[in-house]
Amino acid sequence: MKFSGFRVVAEALRGHKGWKPLWRDPAPQSEYDVIIIGGGGHGLATAFYLAEVHGIRKVAVLEKGWLGSGNIGRNTTIIRSNYLLPGNQPFYEFSMKLWEGLEQAINFNAMVSQRGILNLYHSDGQRDAYRRRGNAMHLTGAGAELLDQDAVRRMYPWLNFDNARFPIKGGLLQRRAGTARHDGVAWGYARAADLRGVDIIQNCEVTGFRIEHGRVQGVETNRGFIGAKKVGVAVAGSSSRVMAQAGLRLPIESHVLQAFVTEGLKPAIDGVITFGAGHFYVSQSDKGGLVFGGDIDGYNSYAQRGNLPVVEDVVEGGMALMPRIGRARLLRSWAGLMDMSMDGSPIIDRTPVDGLYLNAGWCYGGFKATPASGYAFAHLLATDTPHETATAYRLDRFARGHVIDEKGVGAQPNLH
Amino acid sequence: MLIPHPLLGLRDAQEFTYLGDARLIERPTSGDEAELADYVFQRDNPAGLHRELWFHEQGDRSWLVVTRNTLTHEILGAELARDVSLARKEGTA
Amino acid sequence: MTDLSPLCALGATAPRRVTHGALTLAETPDCGLASLALRTGTPPPSLPLPEPGRWHETDGLTAFWTGPGQWLVEMPGCAEVDAAAMLGERAPGASVTEQTDGWVLFEISSTGGAEPIERFLERAVNLDLTRFAPGHATRSTIEHLGTYVLRRAEDRLGIWGMRSAAESLWHALETIAGRQG
Repeated sequence: MKFSGFRVVAEALRGHKGWKPLWRDPAPQSEYDVIIIGGGGHGLATAFYLAEVHGIRKVAVLEKGWLGSGNIGRNTTIIRSNYLLPGNQPFYEFSMKLWEGLEQAINFNAMVSQRGILNLYHSDGQRDAYRRRGNAMHLTGAGAELLDQDAVRRMYPWLNFDNARFPIKGGLLQRRAGTARHDGVAWGYARAADLRGVDIIQNCEVTGFRIEHGRVQGVETNRGFIGAKKVGVAVAGSSSRVMAQAGLRLPIESHVLQAFVTEGLKPAIDGVITFGAGHFYVSQSDKGGLVFGGDIDGYNSYAQRGNLPVVEDVVEGGMALMPRIGRARLLRSWAGLMDMSMDGSPIIDRTPVDGLYLNAGWCYGGFKATPASGYAFAHLLATDTPHETATAYRLDRFARGHVIDEKGVGAQPNLH
Repeated sequence: MLIPHPLLGLRDAQEFTYLGDARLIERPTSGDEAELADYVFQRDNPAGLHRELWFHEQGDRSWLVVTRNTLTHEILGAELARDVSLARKEGTA
Repeated sequence: MTDLSPLCALGATAPRRVTHGALTLAETPDCGLASLALRTGTPPPSLPLPEPGRWHETDGLTAFWTGPGQWLVEMPGCAEVDAAAMLGERAPGASVTEQTDGWVLFEISSTGGAEPIERFLERAVNLDLTRFAPGHATRSTIEHLGTYVLRRAEDRLGIWGMRSAAESLWHALETIAGRQG
């Protein structure tokens, strides 16, 4: 079933009776070439690129809950490639290029909207840091513009420019950044992978690995043993729990991140804005809700709910930046599990167990990375060599002293 | 969350900052590089009971070892990290 | 000749004082402050020191607990003298440090008994009031600012804050008092 404008019109005339489920609901086979654990954005993208780029179609994606029920189904939907360090920025720019061609590649409307991201600065020092970051972005072709206060005023005249403590002095703008429909991304990758022969098996929890002579043979699940030549793990906040079943400890702590949506409003914010003096970022969804978030709560958690002090902190940031947000009523908030790594950067690598591969440590920035993460993980699974944009994401980089620490705060996950 | 401070009673978690796994008290002294890297970077990260270090930064500036359930945020107890550390030294002496 | 006139923490030559309803906030610049930390093996000082979470007054000096083995000592009228030296005489062998210039003291008093003070505390600081009767003193935050709060009496509080943030703290306290006034 291919989506097209013609098809939408034709279905409208037929009372929308011709639409079919977007993917099959297959029973697990006894053996696969590759098993991906985790049916979130990264796992589904990995399966798609395995089939599409490498022709590996005997692939299963095992999902404990339902497809896209984790962070891909609930996030602040921001896509951007505005990193600083050489280990990161080329990867995120590669991801941005994949976003730009995503809807054609998967024939699905993921509502990719390049509405721009504006990172505000509030001091001379911050301006200089953004200038440096902008230059790093230009090196990868990501594009960046350093705006002064007048230029920001023309874009968003209603921001609180004269906040006594944190006046807005300007911003770093990446026009190619923006937002995407988070669960549309999951559905689109799932459908595209399914069409290429990938089995997406939901409600299938991995309960252990079968490892013989240091090589993975497959996984034990609540639906029986499933054999595999290679197993890739992409389970975000559950990484430590799953990898513990293979006897591995990780440089990761699981933390909780909250986010918020207001009632639907008329168009008010046409891009993504981040506050440079607190931790607050906001955009407006196509349904009209203001989608915003802030910092992680800061303590290990698997609870998928946060505490009130961070709610207060986020709301105070919002009020300092754009006082009119105080008029909007909050519709809902939620919290998800973040696989916070020890340097704030991800891991896409082999593990000490042959045939077992890990994709983890995305902290609270995994959504924007979804296409490149899937692409690079598929490349690693298919060729046993890292993708050229992901060579720094080694599991052993910590012990070797090759950390990729954008914030420079050291091995303290709740500060990244 | 409210943290039951051994000296001051229940106190708002907002007064505290968080460091992480209480095993960070057990800094290795052997000089072995791999052991130190393991200490600095690797974590158990359990889902369930977790003994962890909290610093009463906006309070009496004590370090506490708090036992907390990471699945529910229930706090089961708190001790002064100083006492934990001294007991550990006595245990190994 | 340079004419140096001392200023209060809030920037004026005279301390600020404001009344909202039953509550009066008063900047109190004349109180000296010194920290006292006992070292292992030193003799106990000649002034009684309170338990955790408490303050205690002896001979006009009020000591309040700030951490294990550590206290701050208020010395009224001693802001312009060497408060640390005076305290040091009473605590030989202990570590005593002058603190007066780093801090600002705001006294809050009520003409309506305990109720206005407790309502004020509920809004200002996240403490359990059932365990904050007269005699208690603790460190906490008010509007993200680190402060020491002393319950001097049912109807009186003392609040020590950072001198460099005196105006911010005063603004926070006066806003709270004004809303209930």
